[in-house]
Amino acid sequence: MNVKRIAIAVTMIVTIVLGVAAAPLRIAVIMPSATTDLAFSQSMWSALLTVQKEMGGESALVLKYTDNMFKVPDAAAAIRDYAGQGFDLVIAHGSQYGSSVQDVAPDFPETTFAWGTDVNTFGMANVYAYTAAAEQGGYVNGVIAAMLTKSKKVGVTGPIEVGDAKTYIDGFVQGVQSVSKSIAVAKTWTGSFSDVALMTTAAKTHIASGADILTGSSQSVVGSIGAAKDNGKVLWFGTQADQASLSPKLVVASQVYDWTGMLREIIAEHQKGTFGGKTYVLELAGSGLKIAFNPGYALPANVRKAADTAISGIIKGTIKVQP
Amino acid sequence: MTAAREAVRPKTGRVEMRDIVKRFPGVLANSGVCFDVVPGEVHALLGENGAGKSTLMRQLYGMYRPDSGQIIVDGTVRNFRSPADAIAAGIGMIHQHFMLVPTMTVAQNVALGLPSGRGPFTDTKGVSKEVTRLGNEYGLKVDPDAFVWQLSVGEQQRVEIIKALYRGAGLVILDEPTAVLTPQEVEDLFTTFRTMLTEGHSLIFISHKLYEVKAISDRVTVLRDGQVVGSGRTCDLSQQDLVHMMVGREVKDPDPRPHTPGPELVKMQGLKAMGDRGLEALRGIDLSIRSGEILGLAGVSGNGQKELAECLAGMRKLSSGKLLVEGHDMTNATVNERFDRGMAFIPEERMRDGAIREFTVGENVFLHDHMSKRFRRWIFLSFDRMREHALSLVELFSVKTPSLEVPIKNLSGGNIQKLIMARELSRDPFFLVAAQPTRGVDIGASEYIHDSLLAQREKGMAILLISEDLDELRGLSDRIAVMYEGGIIGIVDRGSSTVEELGFMMAGVTLEQMRKDGASTGKACP
Amino acid sequence: MKGLFSLNVLTGVLNSMIALATPFLYAAIGETFAQTAGVVNLGVDGIMLLAAFGAFFVTLMTGNLWLGLLAAAAIGLAMGLIMALISVTLKAEQGVSGIGLYMFGLGMSSLLFKVLVGTVKTVQGFQPVSIPILSTIPFIGPILFNNSVLVYGAFLLVPLAWVVLEKTNLGLKFKAVGQNPAAADSLGINVVAIRYLAVCIGAILAGIAGASLSISLLNLFQDDLTSGQGFIAVALVYFGGWSPIGVLGGALLFSAVNSIQLWMQVLGVNLPASVAVMLPYILTIVALMMTANRARQPAALNKPFDRSEN
Repeated sequence: MNVKRIAIAVTMIVTIVLGVAAAPLRIAVIMPSATTDLAFSQSMWSALLTVQKEMGGESALVLKYTDNMFKVPDAAAAIRDYAGQGFDLVIAHGSQYGSSVQDVAPDFPETTFAWGTDVNTFGMANVYAYTAAAEQGGYVNGVIAAMLTKSKKVGVTGPIEVGDAKTYIDGFVQGVQSVSKSIAVAKTWTGSFSDVALMTTAAKTHIASGADILTGSSQSVVGSIGAAKDNGKVLWFGTQADQASLSPKLVVASQVYDWTGMLREIIAEHQKGTFGGKTYVLELAGSGLKIAFNPGYALPANVRKAADTAISGIIKGTIKVQP
Repeated sequence: MTAAREAVRPKTGRVEMRDIVKRFPGVLANSGVCFDVVPGEVHALLGENGAGKSTLMRQLYGMYRPDSGQIIVDGTVRNFRSPADAIAAGIGMIHQHFMLVPTMTVAQNVALGLPSGRGPFTDTKGVSKEVTRLGNEYGLKVDPDAFVWQLSVGEQQRVEIIKALYRGAGLVILDEPTAVLTPQEVEDLFTTFRTMLTEGHSLIFISHKLYEVKAISDRVTVLRDGQVVGSGRTCDLSQQDLVHMMVGREVKDPDPRPHTPGPELVKMQGLKAMGDRGLEALRGIDLSIRSGEILGLAGVSGNGQKELAECLAGMRKLSSGKLLVEGHDMTNATVNERFDRGMAFIPEERMRDGAIREFTVGENVFLHDHMSKRFRRWIFLSFDRMREHALSLVELFSVKTPSLEVPIKNLSGGNIQKLIMARELSRDPFFLVAAQPTRGVDIGASEYIHDSLLAQREKGMAILLISEDLDELRGLSDRIAVMYEGGIIGIVDRGSSTVEELGFMMAGVTLEQMRKDGASTGKACP
Repeated sequence: MKGLFSLNVLTGVLNSMIALATPFLYAAIGETFAQTAGVVNLGVDGIMLLAAFGAFFVTLMTGNLWLGLLAAAAIGLAMGLIMALISVTLKAEQGVSGIGLYMFGLGMSSLLFKVLVGTVKTVQGFQPVSIPILSTIPFIGPILFNNSVLVYGAFLLVPLAWVVLEKTNLGLKFKAVGQNPAAADSLGINVVAIRYLAVCIGAILAGIAGASLSISLLNLFQDDLTSGQGFIAVALVYFGGWSPIGVLGGALLFSAVNSIQLWMQVLGVNLPASVAVMLPYILTIVALMMTANRARQPAALNKPFDRSEN
């Protein structure tokens, strides 16, 4: 009798221990647009894939995603669902998901939640907030754009005036103005993150009004890039992800969000038993933000030099960019 | 199109239906019905509501297929799969509810569904010409380019007949064609029928109105409960015979005893209101009704009777005028205030305004009384007391229903109407507006409703009876007011007017004009 | 307001208006057919999405734009048949079936895009074709007569649809089954067949609307590419009073105001961007209130036809 009991107990313990040792880390991410949007969602998804490769593939890190969660109640359900399934880290990748995280996180104290872009952890020990200082890359792009424009007119095609879409553009304007106050920066907002047709029209409107350089953010900027490409002479500056593939000759540079550093740190903390309580800000300084210069575009050396100066100035703190 | 040109010579000869059986879930609509028509005759089909007349005719017109039995056209057994087949065989049908598209012109309605002489394009001009020609030939005057929504009911019916003729129909089925017409229009329609008959057409005439059946038909067949209960030459049968066959017993004409009305209970002063189309539907109505009096309201539908009933019920806003009930100003009273003041309504559209189709019989009894203290226990409904009350009403008014729990839509029109009547009267109102209380109701139930109205009159109720059935109005009313184009064109006392006089007023001719021009307009008076 | 009233702006507004209106015209005129026959198809946006993807994918694979267009039409037809089956034959609630179709199109196009393409790519779409002589007319020539075939098609569709609806026997049948199906049935018209035809014509045109985005105007595909344009198209049908001419007016008004508001933003007119992007909607609603004409609404809209109920 006793022997049998002990045998069962031992078997159970061994199973659990082996199971735990062999169990890979599990991360789920909920995103507002597609993982292939060449913008915000893709930046996170490709960082996760990179980290997974580093850790040794699927046996070490299981990744799950739910994308196109433009409806917040659906996203909230997905967040709770993943937490309930015992995922170690649940990333709510959209500033609109904050209240959902605030609602769900207290019920799963062993689960790490990360959400962004924002800076508010709600004072919870298992919530990280993250954001990108998009204005920094915006500034650098602005400096380059100001030196390249011939018409002295630059167009900005934005979606909705919120979050990093706004801070990027604010930084861009500051960058342009740091070079020359006489360059006109015109801004349009389409009121939608996904309306490609209207974004295309907005870009065409800028071009028709004389702009020879365009930039903008959100997944719908593929339309702006298309409009630039149709014109053939208008240059494009990207943000969030490297957009050179869409128009190899006309994309000058892209600000790239690199979440890998942040992810590595969150994973390491998780294994140590810390589940949150901190805010991450991607910056040029920590290599969270990078400027990807398109090798397909021959950037004049003096412009490249000015760009590098701006980057190092921001890192050193000699250049202050207002978000 | 060639069909149009051939229209002059009807294609159909003898049509025969043999041993027709048609079942619907839970109903045997036709059981072994035999019926036939020969060219040049009018064969009337008579029966109460639900006797199976329309079902039988819809099979002849290809809308339903018989479960068994044969349809034989000119000696050949035909199997109609759709109206298209019946049309091709030379059969046309004028439905009780007109089958017209109101947003299209007359010519477009006529051309609808037929191949055009201009390929894919509509041959509007050609069709218009043909419509005019047919109209002249058969006395069916109508503007081919007018939109159907602009037409009067009588004109719409002419369009329906032209449609059948244009399609070369030899046999035309007419489902209660006179229900919506003034007596003068009926006379014109009969003239058209006679022209059609001399051209070799044959007609099947479905009607409730015995004198019309006697006036126009050569033969008559009576259906009851899906079976033929009698058939023969019209001249051999008296009205009493026909009624006897239809209901299985004699119907007595309601004949109220002389009565002295009491004090004035209801006073309408210059009531004005807008109709659904934004035109003025009531142009100043002045009427008064006394206790123990039935005031009949006659008129061709669409002259404001419906709007007046809605205004009295509080369902339509008055734009001006005053409504006094027992001296209280009820002009702007809510529906509930009207109920509380003792007003009751039997609406014209009983399934829309009087009952909720999907609700049970019991629930329909309590549509507005559920708030009454009698049936309430604190904030909850007392279902026991409600049930008891509902059962007593069902019994008192002999409503035929399997139980209180069946949806009201499963009851016949007559039983629904009896139930609504029972519900309204159970609240002991002193002013009742009854709009078309016996329309679409079988004779047995009509009689019951008439008796109830008279009984209430005896008790001193003031009743406004709106009806298009002149016999009903003349039988029940103490006075009859006639509405024409939103106003009262005349009021006559009981027994002092003929059907013809009422008919003239309904057509817009005042009594004075009528007496003045009596000789010239006398044509319609036989 | 500096420079808002210049030739440059006018040219730009007209160019953008024509481009923006193109998908609306296909989709809304298609919906006009369906609604005239009594079927509200709210799945237009879903059809546009799946067809836009189909056109894009076939073009990407074969390089043949006409095959892409054919694929869009075929997808439209298939989805139209599904809609007709559910709403006409099975008599399901039309609004719900349409929303179902929309969600199917949205999800399926997103899934196929992820599996078959993976990332945003572009194709070489239909190029502008100059019409000889006409395109040399000063000012309006280059605007009106230097467009892609799908743009010409959209504008030629308007008179074509008008003739079909107003002047042909088929048009009469569409109207009859939408206004009074019992009447049509009593004249031997096959109500079910006519409604299938109308829904399928509408769906094919919705498919072409999708293709006009993915292989003519934008030349790429992305999740939710239409961004609700199909729903605007349905609204334009009501706006246009079920007439192709009215739909044209609505599509042009909406597109023009949208284009003007972008110009206002570019030129720095002092108006908050959030108000500017609302302008097309506000103006459309105001115009709708002023011109509302319910009289033309098909009386049997949204009502399945059942012979036994009459």
